[in-house]
Amino acid sequence: MSTAGTNPMAPAAHPATDASQPSAHAPLPAADAPGPTPDATGESPGSLEQRQAQLVAALVAGGPLPPGFAPAPLAAARAALLRKRAGEVARHWPLLAAGLGADWPAAFIEWAADRPTSGGLRDGWDLARALRARDALPALAAEELAIREAAFRYDGQRAPRPRRSPAVGRAGNAIAVQLAGRVRLLR
Amino acid sequence: MTGPHGVGIGWRPEIAGFVADLPGLRFVEVIAEAVPSAGPVPDGLVELRKRGVTVVPHGVRLSLGGAEPVEPARVAHLAAVAELLAAPLVSEHIAFVRAGGMEAGHLLPLPRSREAVDVVCANVARAQSELPVPIALEPIAALFDWPDDELDEAAFLGEILDRTDALLLLDIANVHANTRNRGTDPVALLDRLPLERIAYLHVAGGAEHGGFYHDTHTDPVPPPVLDLLAELCARQRPPAVLLERDGHYPPAAELRAELDAVAAASGFPAVT
Repeated sequence: MSTAGTNPMAPAAHPATDASQPSAHAPLPAADAPGPTPDATGESPGSLEQRQAQLVAALVAGGPLPPGFAPAPLAAARAALLRKRAGEVARHWPLLAAGLGADWPAAFIEWAADRPTSGGLRDGWDLARALRARDALPALAAEELAIREAAFRYDGQRAPRPRRSPAVGRAGNAIAVQLAGRVRLLR
Repeated sequence: MTGPHGVGIGWRPEIAGFVADLPGLRFVEVIAEAVPSAGPVPDGLVELRKRGVTVVPHGVRLSLGGAEPVEPARVAHLAAVAELLAAPLVSEHIAFVRAGGMEAGHLLPLPRSREAVDVVCANVARAQSELPVPIALEPIAALFDWPDDELDEAAFLGEILDRTDALLLLDIANVHANTRNRGTDPVALLDRLPLERIAYLHVAGGAEHGGFYHDTHTDPVPPPVLDLLAELCARQRPPAVLLERDGHYPPAAELRAELDAVAAASGFPAVT
């Protein structure tokens, strides 16, 4: 997989991992995911569509182990998906990953384990905001977040969009100001 | 417009400079989803095209194995990228990447069942009807199997290729990964694959973690994978072999040495 590198000092560039699809899929809570209801003998595993949904839910949303699958290989696959996701988020949010240092990727993986991905850009944004909310965002990462917040409008639901009017982004002690698309970090 | 030939490398923005400096390079891949359908094509690829280097769009998010019909917008995007790059073919995976409204984040294996064969063939046919060029299908590396496989890997793949008339993109590292993780014989699998349908090969690095071989694309290509590449090319050498590297990029000298090792194992001229 490839993602375009994101220069944190040039946040006016359009970040996108998937240029073909501007809108991300809204993640469903695991409990709402359609899944088969096998009987006691496991003889009615459901349609392929249901079983694929149940498998994805188990891998990325903390859903139950689908019937019949060997637990260890599935756990290995789940861990591999999380490591891969952590790498993608680190490419979008290099200062978030660097700021967490040795705690990355464990911090990301703990946060992401039961959350389906919204793409590397939004996953990192959501994590940075969650850390900011509990005063756990490292200084480097706070600067990165402040710059992004000043440059983009992100409602937590849909892809971030460049702001058209002047804005201030704040995270921790970092303050970034955006005027006419140019962002300056004040401190 | 020439097909893939010789030793190639997956073009990624992070190694664009390295790739541009490979004097003998005739073939690269680009992740199709990384190219906007209305352009612009990344500068590095434009330069390679001017040099006559073949660029193959490699899709990773079509989800041809998804039980729902493949999304027309994604097929249209792949078709548009193929046109932008004047590509002789495109490639995608025999896998699914989303279900129930959730993205898995990577390629997931299908049950090797008749139902799954039907699903893949229907989606490949939908894609083929909109694509301007042939499609090559790549079997993936999987860490797990479904509990109810009816077919083995060779039979599953053979059925899909026969029914779709698609080309084969064989990833030799995936063959290593799957046979290593299942405890089966990779050479016996090669014996049963339709080698004459291979459009090109993939080769990539990986690592052992927790008792499994992981096809990471971020580690060096291990010796058993190079040995398997040599074994396959000694039987029937496909037109091209492409090295995929997707992160933890090593210094240029190491990456050049890896390309040289791929060339040596396959019998193609070095491109470095």
